[in-house]
Amino acid sequence: MSGDEALVSVRNVSKRFGATRALSDVSVAFHPGRVHGLVGENGAGKSTLGRILLGIHAPDQGQLVLDGSPTKLSGPDEAASYGLVGVAQELSLLPAMRAVDNIVLGSEECIGPFVSDRGNRKRVESLVAQHGLQVPLDENVGSLSVADQQKVEILRALGRRSRLVVFDEPTARLASHEADELRRTVRELANRGVAVVYVSHFLNEVLSVSDTVTVMRDGCVVRTVPAADETYESLVEGMTGRSIGDAYPPKPPQPGDDAPVVLRAKGLSRAGEFSDISFSIKKGEILGLAGLVGAGRSEVAHAVYGATRASAGTVEVSGSRLLGTVADGLSNGISLIPESRRDQGLVVGLSVRDNTTLPHLQRFIGRLGIRVKQEEAAAGQAIQEARVRAESLSVPVGTLSGGNQQKVLFARAMLGQPQLFIADEPTRGVDVGSKRAIYDVIGQLARSGCAVLLVSSELEDVVEMSHRVLVMRFGRIVAEFTGEELTEANILNAAFDTEHLGNRPPTPDSEQV
Amino acid sequence: MTQVVHVLRRYGIAIVTVALFAFLAATTDSFLSQSNFRNVLDQQSALLIAASFATITMIAGGFDLSVASVFVVAPLFALQVENATGNALLAVLVGVAVGLGVGVANGLIVTILKVNSFIATLATSFMVFGAGFLISDRSVLRASTDAYPSIARTRFWGLTTATWIAFGVVAVAWVLLSRTRFGRHVYATGGNAEAARLAGVPVARVKTIAFGLAGAAAGLAGVVSSSRTLSALPSDDFSFVFGVIAAVVVGGTSIAGGEGAVWRTVAGAFFIALMVNGFNLHQVDPIWQRVIQGGVILGAVAIDSWTQRRPQ
Repeated sequence: MSGDEALVSVRNVSKRFGATRALSDVSVAFHPGRVHGLVGENGAGKSTLGRILLGIHAPDQGQLVLDGSPTKLSGPDEAASYGLVGVAQELSLLPAMRAVDNIVLGSEECIGPFVSDRGNRKRVESLVAQHGLQVPLDENVGSLSVADQQKVEILRALGRRSRLVVFDEPTARLASHEADELRRTVRELANRGVAVVYVSHFLNEVLSVSDTVTVMRDGCVVRTVPAADETYESLVEGMTGRSIGDAYPPKPPQPGDDAPVVLRAKGLSRAGEFSDISFSIKKGEILGLAGLVGAGRSEVAHAVYGATRASAGTVEVSGSRLLGTVADGLSNGISLIPESRRDQGLVVGLSVRDNTTLPHLQRFIGRLGIRVKQEEAAAGQAIQEARVRAESLSVPVGTLSGGNQQKVLFARAMLGQPQLFIADEPTRGVDVGSKRAIYDVIGQLARSGCAVLLVSSELEDVVEMSHRVLVMRFGRIVAEFTGEELTEANILNAAFDTEHLGNRPPTPDSEQV
Repeated sequence: MTQVVHVLRRYGIAIVTVALFAFLAATTDSFLSQSNFRNVLDQQSALLIAASFATITMIAGGFDLSVASVFVVAPLFALQVENATGNALLAVLVGVAVGLGVGVANGLIVTILKVNSFIATLATSFMVFGAGFLISDRSVLRASTDAYPSIARTRFWGLTTATWIAFGVVAVAWVLLSRTRFGRHVYATGGNAEAARLAGVPVARVKTIAFGLAGAAAGLAGVVSSSRTLSALPSDDFSFVFGVIAAVVVGGTSIAGGEGAVWRTVAGAFFIALMVNGFNLHQVDPIWQRVIQGGVILGAVAIDSWTQRRPQ
């Protein structure tokens, strides 16, 4: 592509949300036929920029220039009519409708007033064939895997003769082979002359898929350069304004053989999720739990915590057997950071204080109800220890950045002074700077004698943080690595089962794999 | 400037209510008279009693339509007991217990059978209304003692006991919601039930208790109301719950759960009551009163939802 004529550009755009300056004086041009990566920490303004392109937000100052002429978009409808569409980070599908209906939603083929099912299907099938994105069209979207749902969302965007597609964290919820497929689709789109805007936290992914990269920091553009001129390190440096030599803190000392066992799980099973899971964690030990999305890691974590009941097997904490309820897990000193902080972790409308102390209110009860001063002191100390950056304890947690929201959950967990700390994908959707803070907190917990179960899809996290790693596949533990053997390659091989690829063991969990 | 906007957002309903108060005080002679004001308080007592606890249910993510049926039927049970035993206190307890029973049943249906609370309480409403016709033999029940009417009609410092009871119930609901662990759990349950569950909040119990308390409060509201009017009549009139919901929602408590406060409901109830009172004092045609009242409720909620919308 010559690509000299920008399809869309923003010129000197600024945008404020209340007291927060989301974008200031940002100018970027997006060209047809190119993949344009946007990187930056959470709160750097990349999602806001994407939303301005899609007409979701209007700039306070500056211009949006479309096909060479300044344009004001009244909303996403108008943006879509110009062929500017988005694939959102949070999926926006109707779960009770079929995939095919979701894809054509808003642009249904009609005969008079009647929707033509056959016309829609034909159009969708040709889309599917054209882009090689196979999805079960007649299933309700709610019953599809996350990866398939995402494909539905992409097909919806593609079905609208898009000229510019904004992908906001498209691979955050995908397993790695699905992410590869998605990147191919993205390249394919660009080859057809579509301008692609690719927002992602995964820097290597951005480097491999993009032609051009814009690095953002604190609402400003640091630089826009060809992706080939950048490396992982240079991007991190640009995003954070400093070079982070040490992405990970040193591992806490490995507990000795005589260290007491904190958690002992024996023969845990739950139909359709996992079977015969046995392991133990010592005081001060960090145990990693690796595997593909859908391998049953989170399910095991939930069963240990007591959020779901295992159909067989036992969990013991410091020798006492648990009843399998959340209340019992909490009172035995287990803390869980769930996988999805917005769905399972936080009550986003409530304040930082309320979210931090929610499981621990009992200890602040006095004769006149909750002793607020004491509660605030404890919450204040906990959020400081967890390095939460918030204006005050009373701001709603939903107004914080993703990384800080996650740290509020750490503050909550630390306030419980847990014996066993379970973190399920603790760094998902978290920027580079906050990641380090989260690793530090996990390290501190282990040093103070807490047993840690770390569930993560980011192999580097698991390898760099854990003393020992268990790998799960199709609901079973298939490998254990320590010391020299603890490498990304070994874990990947075990997780994928490269020797028996496609050969499924008895526990079927085909939905999500 | 942003400070001003913040205060307006947060306390909008209170400010508007005070403004309406000032307006009526300035434009009519009789509004500020003690008897008018006492009357308004007395008339609002039953609504305040029921609405303060209905607020808690709504914040917990539940929607309780059965408040109207309990309000109608609890006093029928109470008066039957009073007629039979002559014991007014026992009658009150029975009225409240009926409400509590219906409320707990609602809670269990919602949490165990997982029936949507709107539908569940609609269904139980019909059953309760039916029970009212059965227990009263389809006739008006009247108080047979002097003690029963005195529950609501005695005066202390110029205010009726109905008003004092309402003040007391509002205070209890307010403290319960804002100062106790149960209150925090209510907000968490309505805000994000799954997150609350994983944080150790007994979500089902919290909801059941919220429904139970709302039922008990509705029962008490019915008893107080029947004590004011000396009688109770079986019916299948849903109008009471609409008044309750209007007060809760106009106050700014979110119908989606997770947000709200008892003081908001108090402000909402008084806003509506003052508006009606103002209409009467200004001799607005009752037919037009309804139209305007509907418009004002719609406007209040629309303004609230407009100011609450914050870009992320």
